[in-house]
Amino acid sequence: MSTSTVHRFGHAFGAAFALFYVIARLRGIALFTVYPAQGIVLLGLHRSRDFADPVLDFLAPEMYWYGWTAFAAVGALVVGLIAALLPDRFSWFWAWCVCIIPPIAMVACVYLTIPWFLL
Amino acid sequence: MTTTLLILHGLVAVALLGAITHQALATCAPFNAKPHTFFGRFRAVTAAGFTNAITVLYLASWLLGAVVYLYFKVDVQPILERDRHWHAMGFFDLKEDFIVIGLGVLPAYWFCWRRPVNCQHHQIRTILTVLLAFIVWWSFLVGHVMNNIRGFGS
Repeated sequence: MSTSTVHRFGHAFGAAFALFYVIARLRGIALFTVYPAQGIVLLGLHRSRDFADPVLDFLAPEMYWYGWTAFAAVGALVVGLIAALLPDRFSWFWAWCVCIIPPIAMVACVYLTIPWFLL
Repeated sequence: MTTTLLILHGLVAVALLGAITHQALATCAPFNAKPHTFFGRFRAVTAAGFTNAITVLYLASWLLGAVVYLYFKVDVQPILERDRHWHAMGFFDLKEDFIVIGLGVLPAYWFCWRRPVNCQHHQIRTILTVLLAFIVWWSFLVGHVMNNIRGFGS
């Protein structure tokens, strides 16, 4: 594997990871949901309050962060592998993507966090 | 156990903060800084020499944080919500988002610093290093504030 192939993979992975993470946050896509109080991991996104009572959200808090991260990692891996297979003349594109997309994703995350500051 | 992990997480974060700050300043600061000033000495390091340490420390810090986060969700977050620390929760949400985005950037950052530098690579290298430095500083400060909200061992 050549050096430029590895670089293309790294750049595309970084850009796609940020993009997929924001998509996961926006659309609520988690590969799995963790219930730390019970030590349970369920595939997909589950909400405690969906099943019985809103109070369950306090008794069985759910965590999506791990599932969002896993989703972003899988998506970025696929994009990274595709980028590695593409010709070297696209390498500048991936290099600039990794410089531009993560900061934009961070701004998007700030936007998604605004509800906390309106309480 | 949780306290031990949290302290370890904090120590790793301190080391990471020092390394990334050295590297970011050495990459961005003007080269004409006076060599005998504190700032001049601070930036006069071989920036590339920090890359492996930063990568390993970032991964270690993320892993420890991911473990401690499980305890935070069960034991600490309900108390913060009860006491209406909504802004702190918002800042912490941003910390977890930024940390993951930085995690994704880490391979590109590592590859950039291993490649011989030219003009374009230098720009990319600078952008990624400053981005990671911002993420590490943000996470450190927010983590510090979160840890101090109720005090040690409360």
